[in-house]
Amino acid sequence: MSEHLDRMTCEEAFRRLDDFIDRQLNAEEMRLVQEHLDVCAQCTREFNFELSVINGVRSRLARIAAPPDFLSRIASSLPRPKPGEGG
Amino acid sequence: MPLSESDANVEPAVPQPQATVIGPARPAAGQREAADFETLLGAVVDAAYGYAFRLSHNRSDAEDLVQEAALLAFRGFGSFEPGSNFKAWFFKILTNCYRSKYRRDKRRPTVDLDDTPDLYLYARSGEVGFPTDGPDPASALLDRLGTERVVAALDQLPEEYRIVSTLYFMQDFSYEEIARALECPVGTVRSRLHRGRKILQKALWEVAEEAGIVHPPRSAEL
Repeated sequence: MSEHLDRMTCEEAFRRLDDFIDRQLNAEEMRLVQEHLDVCAQCTREFNFELSVINGVRSRLARIAAPPDFLSRIASSLPRPKPGEGG
Repeated sequence: MPLSESDANVEPAVPQPQATVIGPARPAAGQREAADFETLLGAVVDAAYGYAFRLSHNRSDAEDLVQEAALLAFRGFGSFEPGSNFKAWFFKILTNCYRSKYRRDKRRPTVDLDDTPDLYLYARSGEVGFPTDGPDPASALLDRLGTERVVAALDQLPEEYRIVSTLYFMQDFSYEEIARALECPVGTVRSRLHRGRKILQKALWEVAEEAGIVHPPRSAEL
């Protein structure tokens, strides 16, 4: 029989920090972590900081656009079938 | 002939990079398939270029990587299952191209892999009086670092951590998509990502110290 957690300790919540941030927990675990955060200011501070780091790195590694003609250059370099061939 | 250790377990359906891609390619797709391929590629080309650029650090090399991957993907397009995740499939080919072309540069500095404590940046920020609370507490440090130094920190990660972290931070890939792109179990993605994030925090702090943005506590200077 699996252990049923009615509420999480700081340690149990912290162990799930990354998965909670990435929404990799099941709904029940997400709820339990959230309930812990709702009543634990220290864990909330730590979780928020971790989330701030992730979001900050993400925003600073913003996507880089390819050169405007890049797709057409790739397309023209592909071995095109002759009209009537295939498709 | 295996191209590298990391290529040894690739699925046979995935086109593999060769040392050089020269000469006329074997047409693998008909007119309709070619049009479909270009449509699918068009939707991911910016993401692919950005990923290749972050890995290779060079616009020309990034273009070469994506072009080589596109050619391989086009040749193997017959093995792509319509309706499945083209982005993950293409990034798998692109990652294999990168791995086969760019052996890890041994000179590249990597951050110490020894145990990095949890909440590393949180703890260090608190020590030097940077905010640890508020709506976006890490921004005080990250704003001072700027994109260039954040990229420099990411570059210090050991290669497999760098690749998985780049996909995670740049592409918003799910764990499952990263697993597909890197041909490894989701559990491996999870563990690499969790450890990679810890190592990245240490690297960010080291870069900040080198840039004089933060200073080691006096007791650590000796």
